[in-house]
Amino acid sequence: MSDKLKDIINKQSDQQNHDLTNLDDVVQLVGFIIGDEEYAIPILAIQEIIKPFAWTRVPQVPTYVKGVFNMRGSVIPLIDLRLKFGLNEQKHNDETRFIVMKVGDEIAGFVIDRLTMALRIKKQNIGPAPDTIDKEDSLIDGVGKEKDRIITILKADKLLKRDF
Amino acid sequence: MDEFQEILQDFLVESFELVEQLDQDLIELESTPEDLELLNGIFRVAHTVKGASSFLNFDVLTNLTHHMEDVLNKARHGELIITPNIMDVILESIDLMKALLNKIRDTSTDSGIDVAACVVRLDKVASGDNDVAKDESGSTPVEETVEVEEAPVEEEELDYDNMSDEDVEAEIARLLNERQEEDKAKRAAKIAAGESVPQAPPSPDEVSSEAPKEEPTPAAPPPPPPPPAPPAVKKEEPKPNDAKAAAPVKKATTVEQTIRVDVKRLDHLMNLIGELVLAKNRLIKINDDVEERYEGEEFLEELNQVVSIVSLVTTDLQIAVMKTRMLPIGKVFNKFPRMIRDLTRELNKKIELEISGEDTELDKSIVEEIGDPLVHIIRNSCDHGIEIPEVRLAAGKSEGGTIALKAFNEGNQIVIQIDDDGKGLDAEMLKDKAIEKGLISEKEADNMSDKEAFLLIMRPGFSTAAAVTNVSGRGVGMDVVKTNIEKVNGIIDVESEIGRGTSMKLKIPLTLAIIQALLVGVQEETYAIPLASVLETVRISTDEIYTVEGKSVMRLREDVLSLVHIADIFEVERIMNGGEYAYVVVLGLGTQKLGLIVDTLVGQEEIVIKSLGDYLKGIEGVAGATIRGDGGVTLIVDVVAIMDMAKNVKASATQNSTSNTEQLTLEKTKASDYTVMIVDDSKTDRNIMSNALKSLGITLIEAGDGQEALSLLKQGDHHFDAMLIDIEMPRMDGYTLATEIKKYSRYKNLPLIAVTSRTGKSDRMRGVESGMVEYITKPYSADYLSSVVQRNINFKSEFLS
Repeated sequence: MSDKLKDIINKQSDQQNHDLTNLDDVVQLVGFIIGDEEYAIPILAIQEIIKPFAWTRVPQVPTYVKGVFNMRGSVIPLIDLRLKFGLNEQKHNDETRFIVMKVGDEIAGFVIDRLTMALRIKKQNIGPAPDTIDKEDSLIDGVGKEKDRIITILKADKLLKRDF
Repeated sequence: MDEFQEILQDFLVESFELVEQLDQDLIELESTPEDLELLNGIFRVAHTVKGASSFLNFDVLTNLTHHMEDVLNKARHGELIITPNIMDVILESIDLMKALLNKIRDTSTDSGIDVAACVVRLDKVASGDNDVAKDESGSTPVEETVEVEEAPVEEEELDYDNMSDEDVEAEIARLLNERQEEDKAKRAAKIAAGESVPQAPPSPDEVSSEAPKEEPTPAAPPPPPPPPAPPAVKKEEPKPNDAKAAAPVKKATTVEQTIRVDVKRLDHLMNLIGELVLAKNRLIKINDDVEERYEGEEFLEELNQVVSIVSLVTTDLQIAVMKTRMLPIGKVFNKFPRMIRDLTRELNKKIELEISGEDTELDKSIVEEIGDPLVHIIRNSCDHGIEIPEVRLAAGKSEGGTIALKAFNEGNQIVIQIDDDGKGLDAEMLKDKAIEKGLISEKEADNMSDKEAFLLIMRPGFSTAAAVTNVSGRGVGMDVVKTNIEKVNGIIDVESEIGRGTSMKLKIPLTLAIIQALLVGVQEETYAIPLASVLETVRISTDEIYTVEGKSVMRLREDVLSLVHIADIFEVERIMNGGEYAYVVVLGLGTQKLGLIVDTLVGQEEIVIKSLGDYLKGIEGVAGATIRGDGGVTLIVDVVAIMDMAKNVKASATQNSTSNTEQLTLEKTKASDYTVMIVDDSKTDRNIMSNALKSLGITLIEAGDGQEALSLLKQGDHHFDAMLIDIEMPRMDGYTLATEIKKYSRYKNLPLIAVTSRTGKSDRMRGVESGMVEYITKPYSADYLSSVVQRNINFKSEFLS
């Protein structure tokens, strides 16, 4: 009898451990499109996703810094990821979104072409960034592989770092 | 543990406050050594700190304060006259006390700071030995006298409050008697033992009857601290009127209703208020819109009332919260008497400090910023300004110099004025020094007014001192002053007369968070300029702008003012033409002036300053941002930086660049390269027009009214070759649209064709005035329309099929 009980308890704790490791193994991301490629950002780095609205130009900054906008009383910089990634500027349309990212005290809004979906990718399915890229300076954290596509996972903290 | 931490926090906050007051009091005490009220106050501080620290087991601090208390107790009983030497020891012990408190704050323990030497000196003072050389170590502990003093305090826990006046009198008489007897006994003991040998314990019966639990151990290190004495201590005074005077003071402190609040919470509150103000502004805007639309409806009045109440309350709330952040400037001034005292002793000068206006209130963040600058200015005045007594006498001045520190309100600003009656600044000497150090060229020096020369002392690396002393001479201090004052948007003004003294004025805005600003427009952008830096605004015609050595200047009354266009500073794209007039905002900073050319003056507004955040910090020329009533962000101009940037701006301030038209003359290779916009509110009319033009094969874009047309144009998706415009349209009519379009230099040559049923002569005239090139009246034939369009867009006949 007590053996049985032990078995059950063992099984239960096994199950729990398994669940925990499972959780550890999955990364939750939000996917979006810039140009022709799909990128993703860890969901925890995202404060909110909003529809585009008016911003104010700021002088003496690189072109990819569009300016600043007002989000409920806070003045937040707006960065166009198309321009940052060397693509042409594109007019905002119905699918354009601002993703507001926050890591620590750093906060900024990023213009993206459109959202795809929230993703859960197993850690083992995430490969390192290509070797040709300098690891330290790269914006790329890794490359996630889903069934039929490849998603570039970006480092939110690097995106939020001023590089001019 | 948490509870302990909480108590500790309270203890620290209280102690720091007390110690701050202490410095002030002690300096005052030195000039009026017999002021019992002051002595009592000081004694109470030492006592309070001692009591609390013994409770919290800070033995070192307890030990120190205990001995301070001894000295002060003697002093307030008139057994000790406070001399400067004694004061030095007391001040030293207070410094140690501060150090200990800091240590406790940082590490939660008070170990690691050696107070033994100071304690010994305190004891010497307490024993009446006036000769306390600083380096002297090891002296005879004289605890006994202390115990005798302490003992009656322990014992007399009578309830004075419940006593009748006669009883109090009797009690005082009894105490006086007792004191005299004690003194007699002490004197006897002293004579018997001699001054330098450890004193014999007081007569056994006295000790056993008065302080049984504190049996002193002769010649032992400091005794265990007695528990905090009851408040009755204050009433130990031999004089009855003092006992009475002390009581109300105590009551006042309990009645005062204050609460300590973390500054973070206030900041948060301030932010919330800011958002509320924004919401209020929007509400007012919406209210106006609703009013327009539902004029005469009954509910409007009610809505109006609610909106005005909300806006009133919000404004009051804003002011109230701002007030909670205000601190009296006395908080900063308090430390200066002590500083002056130390400096006078160090520099062997006689200097008196006169403080006034210490009740003037300033925002907390500013109070924190101005402490350092004031320290530097005052040190400078002491070291370089005030002469040594002999020189002063020789110059026919009084032996002692005076530094006056004043604070007062002046409009929206606080002025802090520091005057000294020292030797004053020598403009020529300053210039020579600056040339010598390579800070300015000789040519610059020649052109400098005295006032500008005085400001040289603010340059980094500038120092007139022959040698670097402990006090100053490194050429850093005044630079700090300038940086810090500019950080809070302040202005420094220096006036000086050789031999008479120097006067320095710091003009600082009341609060950092909310300022008055002048909003100016350039092209389609708006910028806010802090009103404190705006001297005046003038409207000039563009002919009045001259160019000298590639820089624009104008004549403003007697002066020549250099000009810079705000668009050149902020890289604004010039898409609209300026008129023949320009507005010049004259900025003033210290003695510098600059004319900033803007397109329009929008108005004056109270703005809430927001930071641009880490990502965008340090953009030259931008001090921050603010959020306007419509929810948009407006950048705030950094006047200090602009002054510097203006020197490097080469571009002429007048608008004569006209290179924007080349985009419009793109090569046309096929019929669909031509694009024409049709603006009409009627769908039928639009269809008629597009049918008439369809056969040409040109691209047609339709817009339903003037605003839509304008925004299509601004988007820049298409290069329009012509526009067909109806006159009568909702939102924006054809005339207005044409006028708006002609504001953009890029569309100067865009043909605008009016298509309308209005045939009056005045209508035609208006059309021409607003920039229309053709006037087609409805009804028209399709061919006629087509030919007019072809003519205006230079349609190539080979495309006609």
